[in-house]
Amino acid sequence: MHLGKFILIRTTQIVVSFFIILTLLFVLFRVAPGDPASMVIDPQMTAEDVEVTRALFGLDKPLYQQYLIYVKNFVKGEFGSSFYYGKPVIEIIGEKLPNTILLFTTSIILSALAGISWGKVIAWRRGSLLDSSVTVLGLVSHTLFLPWIALLMVWVFAYWMNLFPLSGMITPELWLNPETGITMKVLDVLHHMVLPLSVLFTIHFGGFMLIMRSSMMETLKEDYIVTARAKGLTERQIRERHAAKNAALPVVTSVGLSLAFSINGGAITETIFSWPGIGRELVFSVSNSDYPLAQIAFLLIAALVLVANLVVDILYAYLDPRIKY
Amino acid sequence: MGGGQMCRRFYWLCFICILVPLFLGVAIVPSGAAVIKIGMKEEPKTLNPFKASDTWSRNVVDRFYESLYTREPKTHRIIPWLADGYPEYDEATNTAVVRLKKTKWEDGSPLTAHDVVFTGSVIREFKVPRYYARWRFIKEIEALDDYRVKFVLEEPMAIFLPRTLMTFIVQKKKWEPVVAAARKAENPLRCLLAHEVTQPMGCGAFKFVKWARGAYIRIERNENFFATGMEIGGKKVGPYVDGVLFKFYGSMDSAILALKKGDIDYYWASIQAGYLKDLEGDRRFKVFKNDKDGVYYLAFNVRNPPFSDKAFRQAVAYLIDKDFIVIRVLQNEGQRMDNITPPGNGYWHNPDTPKFGKGMKRKERIKKAYEILKAAGYTWGKPPINAKGTVVRAEGLKMPDGREVPPLDILTPPADYDPHRAMTGMLVQQWLRGVGIPASSKPSSFGSITQQVKVKREFDAFILGWGGLGIDPDYLRTFFHSREDRPYGRNPMGYHNDWYDNIADESAATMDETKRRELIFEMQKFIIEEAPYIPLYVPYVVEACRVDRFTGWNEDLDGVGNGWSLFFIKPAQ
Repeated sequence: MHLGKFILIRTTQIVVSFFIILTLLFVLFRVAPGDPASMVIDPQMTAEDVEVTRALFGLDKPLYQQYLIYVKNFVKGEFGSSFYYGKPVIEIIGEKLPNTILLFTTSIILSALAGISWGKVIAWRRGSLLDSSVTVLGLVSHTLFLPWIALLMVWVFAYWMNLFPLSGMITPELWLNPETGITMKVLDVLHHMVLPLSVLFTIHFGGFMLIMRSSMMETLKEDYIVTARAKGLTERQIRERHAAKNAALPVVTSVGLSLAFSINGGAITETIFSWPGIGRELVFSVSNSDYPLAQIAFLLIAALVLVANLVVDILYAYLDPRIKY
Repeated sequence: MGGGQMCRRFYWLCFICILVPLFLGVAIVPSGAAVIKIGMKEEPKTLNPFKASDTWSRNVVDRFYESLYTREPKTHRIIPWLADGYPEYDEATNTAVVRLKKTKWEDGSPLTAHDVVFTGSVIREFKVPRYYARWRFIKEIEALDDYRVKFVLEEPMAIFLPRTLMTFIVQKKKWEPVVAAARKAENPLRCLLAHEVTQPMGCGAFKFVKWARGAYIRIERNENFFATGMEIGGKKVGPYVDGVLFKFYGSMDSAILALKKGDIDYYWASIQAGYLKDLEGDRRFKVFKNDKDGVYYLAFNVRNPPFSDKAFRQAVAYLIDKDFIVIRVLQNEGQRMDNITPPGNGYWHNPDTPKFGKGMKRKERIKKAYEILKAAGYTWGKPPINAKGTVVRAEGLKMPDGREVPPLDILTPPADYDPHRAMTGMLVQQWLRGVGIPASSKPSSFGSITQQVKVKREFDAFILGWGGLGIDPDYLRTFFHSREDRPYGRNPMGYHNDWYDNIADESAATMDETKRRELIFEMQKFIIEEAPYIPLYVPYVVEACRVDRFTGWNEDLDGVGNGWSLFFIKPAQ
């Protein structure tokens, strides 16, 4: 099959999958117990107020009507307004998503790069002390309990040693000062990123490293590696140009999907570090039945995962000449 | 690029970021500015006063807007605020005239009767949720001149002064175009509530400066605040701080560390017991414990037996050891409740309501419950008190009509949402089983509970709570009035009592506060006796403030986080 035809077929599948997810999300939120109006426990809210609120949210309409409005608005590019914020969900996501991408996607990229590099090195030196110690380190870091390590790092580095800010993305006092230039602001954001980034890096690095190591060790058994040695290539050349490229394929899939999922942020990380990202909003919107916000956030993740899968498949065709569509 | 090279670059980046504080220390606003830094758990959702209903939004929005009347700190006596004197009420015509002080909006324009009329008209026209109920009985509102407003009521309503006239006032000039646009929209109310307020225009002690989403909100002192210099409750009103910087801390751990490190001076939320020891030992802090304006309660579905039987409900009331809950579950950071109105609401709290089982030991409770149930006609296969008078495990409890008491579910929020209520549910389950009542605690998601309770009204019992009751006790009417027995109503228990309905309606129509208080006291005593609710406990609001930075906090119902604190606090010397 030609690559172009493959892309066309997969894109069609993505569109169909997307609409199935669209419908599933609608159904799941509506069948879950509680609606946003009933969850308001406010002694000042009368039953009439609640009915008015339900009508505001469109919840007084029959389900099929709500669904039709939902699909129609989606196709028109109108994603609705948050029940709680009262403003378009696309604005809310627009505010929070860049913060999530900045932190979480950066952490995935850094941990993937570091994990792949170290995975290559230790697989090459398999059986050595370096291999054993780094493998154990990777296993430990990958299974660390995130809230615990996050709080520990906050306490040690931010509170006790006072090297980093406790939380947040910026230092308000700095940004309120009209004399603060753009360089200082960028450094301030980087400064705030160090701790949460370190935590996420620690958690994710191990996983990528172990996948790369495992894949590399399989690749090293191949005949072409022996051939490469016989041709007189240096160890570095064999490792980088022959073994690593082929071993990277499974890692590419893992990284691709991780990048897509990084968009949902991490509610725990964002809570502990008070990072203003989409993760906490997602949890809040689900627990408070803020349907429009929750639906769009999940749809965004679904869309990115579907597209990421396609991109990874296409990348495979370039990385591995044996693969033909 | 090799892994080593990548790692080296990463380490350099970290090193640079470690050096940053050295530079940042020069760039930060000088600490000489008396700006109080307040931490909040969540960011406000909106600055639109008509929309703001969550605590975090109100914490900020309430700094900009004021009302005609307000409550004095500690005594909660209603005092004129934007108004000049008390309303001149004519009982014959149900008319009230309110005079205004000559005050100004922060842009220097005068705050007039037209602003008051405009605000009331908007609430009535759009039926703004949360506020409409306090304005719906206003037949007419008119500006007699620039500084006098006339209200015509459909009927006398006791909440006219404490609710209607304590609504925030907005500037007509600022909101008129917004309202005009909303009227043309497909859904006018949605349009009004969706209006994004980027620059609030108020007359409060503070004015808005900046909101950096996800990071902070900065407000500064309003130099033209009308109440500056007024003596209220023996203190002179400020504000004495140059401004407030609100910061957001998602977790209690980081908030407490921020308090200790000096990143904030006060965290606007009740602090969990586990953190207190650390703070109490530190001289920089003062820990404040105040009553919460709320109640946590066990409610019954009185539509169905056995909870339709008052004797059964009273027997359950005797079985519940509230002191045990306060000591063991709340770790003494709370108090038992024998009334719906919390004790901190001194004027409206009736201390003489029945206190079922207070001071009784477990055996005595079981004996008392057994006596009540037996007198009401309940029987057992194996009663909880045997012939020797010893307490034993009871079985086979039957109702007076001979049917077995069916299994009863007590819905509670889950432990990750509220461990106190979840634990209380477990305790109540065990206590009830002690006399053979087949009760089971069912921790459920909050949405599931509200669906069962408020919408379907299909449940046996539940443990929930109210917060932000407010000083005015009108909620006593709405919580138990038969009219509120409807989907989304405030009487999901289905409690119907004609006597109570009548006295509740009478209290709502009584403008004389002394007489109303008598009625309210009677209502409290009656409803506790009837027990469609069993109030259980209310936790204290425990807060910590950096008193080495600011002093003069106003302790009141619901803690020190209130407007009066921000009027009175001063930088520490």
